[in-house]
Amino acid sequence: MKRSTLLISLAVIALLGIVTTVFAHGAAIEYQIESTVHITATYDSGEPMSEAQVAVFSPEDKQNPWMVDVTDGNGNFSFTPDVSMAGEWDVQVRQAGHGDMIHINLNDTKGSDGAFTVSQIVVMSVSILWGLIGTALYFKKGKKA
Amino acid sequence: MHIPDGVLPLGVSIAGYATTAGATWFSLKKINQREDPREGVPKAALLTAGFFVASWIHIPIPPTSIHLVLNGLMGVVLGYYAFPSILIGLFLQAILFQHGGITSLGVNAAMMGIPALLAYYIFNLRIKFGKKDSKTWTNVTAFLGGALGLGIAAVIAYTLLITSIPSYLDATVEKASILAMTLGYLPLMLIEGVFTVLIVNFLQKVKPELLENE
Repeated sequence: MKRSTLLISLAVIALLGIVTTVFAHGAAIEYQIESTVHITATYDSGEPMSEAQVAVFSPEDKQNPWMVDVTDGNGNFSFTPDVSMAGEWDVQVRQAGHGDMIHINLNDTKGSDGAFTVSQIVVMSVSILWGLIGTALYFKKGKKA
Repeated sequence: MHIPDGVLPLGVSIAGYATTAGATWFSLKKINQREDPREGVPKAALLTAGFFVASWIHIPIPPTSIHLVLNGLMGVVLGYYAFPSILIGLFLQAILFQHGGITSLGVNAAMMGIPALLAYYIFNLRIKFGKKDSKTWTNVTAFLGGALGLGIAAVIAYTLLITSIPSYLDATVEKASILAMTLGYLPLMLIEGVFTVLIVNFLQKVKPELLENE
C-alpha cells in the first residue's frame, strides 16, 4: 500500500513535471491590427516633394505636432496613428514655404486633398481665358461705339 | 511664389489684406483719373489671362520648381491696371487650382502687385529723363522693370517665409530650402526681364499707343 502511494505520488510529480515542461514550450500570440497611413506628397508640377518636413497632428492637439519627420526621396511618408484618439488626423507637408495640409479620417481607406485631373484643369483654364478675352473684346467694342 | 493657406500667421494675413485694399483703392483712383478709364480694360484683361496661365509654366530649379510670375511685365505694360489685374488673377488661381490660398490672397497680391507698380515707375524713368524715344532707354528700363518686379517680390516672399517658420519644423533645413528657392529666382529674373523687353518691343512695333499709360 505504502509503496503504491509513493509510486502514485511520484507519478503525479512526474506528470506535473511534464506538464510544466509543456507550459514552458507554449507560445502565446496576441494580435492587434494597426492601420498605417501612407502619404505621397507631390508638387502640382508632378514632381515629388522629397525630404520635405512632415508634421502630424492628432485629433486631440492641433497646435503641437504628435510627430515630426521627413518624406523620403519620392515624397512618401508613413505613420501609424493611435486609434484610441477618435477624429481627424492632420498631416502637414512643408518645404520652402510650399506645402499643404491634408485631413485624414481613419474610416476612409483612400483620399486626396482634392487635386484636379489634367482635363479638369484644362477646361477651367480655357473657360477663364475665354472670359478674359470676352471682357477684352467687349470693352474694345464699347470704345468704338 | 504663391504662399498657401496655413503657412503665415493670422496677423500677417490680415496685414496683407489691408495692404492689398489700400493698393487696390490707390490703383482704381489713378485709373479713374484717366480720360477714359475703360480704354485700358481690354489690355488688362488679356494680360490677366497671360498672368493666369503663366503659373503653369514650370522651370525646374531644385529643391522645387519655379513657375513664371510675370508681375514685372504686368506693371510695365499695364501701369495702374496691374494691381487689380494681379489681384483677379491670383484670386482665380487660388479658387480653381489651390495655387496660393484665400487667407493668403491679400499677402500674395501685395507681394506681387506692389513690385509691379514699382516696375511701372522704373519703366517710366525713361520719360522722366526725356529719353522716351530712345531704344536703349526703353529696353533697359523694360528689362529692369521686368526683372526687379520679380526680384522685389522674391525678397518679400523670402522675408515673410523666413520669419514665420513654426517652432516644430527643423528651422535650419527649412531656412536652407527657402534660401535655395529664393536664389532660384535669380535666373528667372533674367528670363522675365528679357521677356518684358521682347513684349515691349513687339507692342512698340504693332501698337505703340498700348504702352502709353500716362
